[in-house]
Amino acid sequence: MPQRIAIGLLIGLFLYLGLFTWNIRTGYVDTLASHTGLEFARWMLAPGKWVHVQATSFLNRYLYFVGIRQENDLLRQELDAAKVELSNLREDATEVERLRRLLSISPPQEWTRQGARVVSQRLGPNAALETLLIDKGSASGVNINTPVVVPAGVVGRVLRLSPNAATVLLVTDSNSHIPVVSQTNRTQGILKGLGPDHDLTMQYVPQGAPVEEGEILVTSGLADIFPKGLPVAKVTKIGRSGSSLFQVIDAAPLFAPRQLEEVALLFRGPVAASRNAAAGAAPAADAAGPAAVGPIVKPAKGHAKTGQPAPSGVSPAPAPAPAPAATTAHPASPAAGIGPGAPAGPHQDVPEGTDVKRHRKSIRTAPR
Amino acid sequence: MRPSSIVFWVVFTISGTWLQSVLPGVDFLAPGFILAMQEEKWTVPVWLGLIWLFIQEGTGSLAFGTGLLWYGVLAGLYFFGHWLFEARNFLFMFILGLCLGTMHFLLINVMVVLQDWTIPLQRLMMESVLQTLIFPIEWGLIYLIHQHLPVNNHAA
Repeated sequence: MPQRIAIGLLIGLFLYLGLFTWNIRTGYVDTLASHTGLEFARWMLAPGKWVHVQATSFLNRYLYFVGIRQENDLLRQELDAAKVELSNLREDATEVERLRRLLSISPPQEWTRQGARVVSQRLGPNAALETLLIDKGSASGVNINTPVVVPAGVVGRVLRLSPNAATVLLVTDSNSHIPVVSQTNRTQGILKGLGPDHDLTMQYVPQGAPVEEGEILVTSGLADIFPKGLPVAKVTKIGRSGSSLFQVIDAAPLFAPRQLEEVALLFRGPVAASRNAAAGAAPAADAAGPAAVGPIVKPAKGHAKTGQPAPSGVSPAPAPAPAPAATTAHPASPAAGIGPGAPAGPHQDVPEGTDVKRHRKSIRTAPR
Repeated sequence: MRPSSIVFWVVFTISGTWLQSVLPGVDFLAPGFILAMQEEKWTVPVWLGLIWLFIQEGTGSLAFGTGLLWYGVLAGLYFFGHWLFEARNFLFMFILGLCLGTMHFLLINVMVVLQDWTIPLQRLMMESVLQTLIFPIEWGLIYLIHQHLPVNNHAA
């Protein structure tokens, strides 16, 4: 009897290791698990989440009137300030267009965005990484490594997906590495997460390289995943450690992971847009609210796309696409806003399907 | 299978999924797997285990295989354990919970290392403790509920 048990265990172990290594190489079983388990969880959790959001918004709208007047005054002040800034930015944008034509620089690639609801945070016993579950998947044109943002800044990128759901790896996860550049001083580095409830750290910044506290770190576009110029974090502390060649830079993420309710997915412009149309991704503009599709970059083309008059401004996006995740805890600094801020995409185009092939290594965004 | 049992397992699966979103890192379906092995025909835990395996693997962020090992070892522990202990004993369930808590810590660690990732160990430790404590309590609750399910009079 013990001999039979031992043989059975050995055969089981052999089969398990075979399945594990075969799946690591091909990813077939992972895909099957995503298309069944992830999809099931999405349809089980989404209705309850919707009820919760509706109940919360009802309470907020009708029961908590305290402070509405003061908040209204504050918002009017902010609106006035934003109008002034918008006017200045429009001037800058027209100048950029003129200079670009003058210097014959090809314009950055166009990106569009689509809203999605957060269905759940980490889910299940195997959720080892800091992730979110959202209600958009491959049927809406989402792919592995699709960037996920909120108005305040970058949230993360898609790690795995099913037809109607996707898991998003947050920038705060310790396996997330994003190439960034400081917005003012243009110092480059790699932004690495340090886990939940911790700040991020900017690595590989040489001693003496100029970085200031309070400076916004934006994506450099080098990893060919995120568009160039998206705000990711704000520098909170700069120091040095012993004999290290590099500075120690802490940075705070621009969003509160546990308070995210909606996010926006970024697609490489026309390709994703046409795919969405084919996939019947109209729900993007459904009652879910923030899901409207709208260009976020390239003012001139963006206006043409949405059919709006193009006032030569940098901010065509807000009209059709009410900024998702308005409830995000950290308000974006004006300079860091994603909507009007117009990030510009990297020029290199990744062929379709490349993302899927990169699935196995998808955790490592940037060279280590 | 009785209709009341079918309803029970459907509700259990949905509730478990919801609880897992509230308390990530803890398997709320594992006690049901043990209960199914104790109370139902052998085909029921096989089907339920397969469904739950894909739920756990699909919602998790690790490569496929963790859930297979998780439920496989749980079934093995139950089979070997019920030779030594009374299968419906709360102490046996507590020992199973302790084994699961330890296994959660070791298994996730091994899988994370195999995939060249890093995770916060403190959080993993906390999840393991929660798994240890929640497993026997949840098993006790669902065992009581399952005992009070209406009997199907038309059953053969």
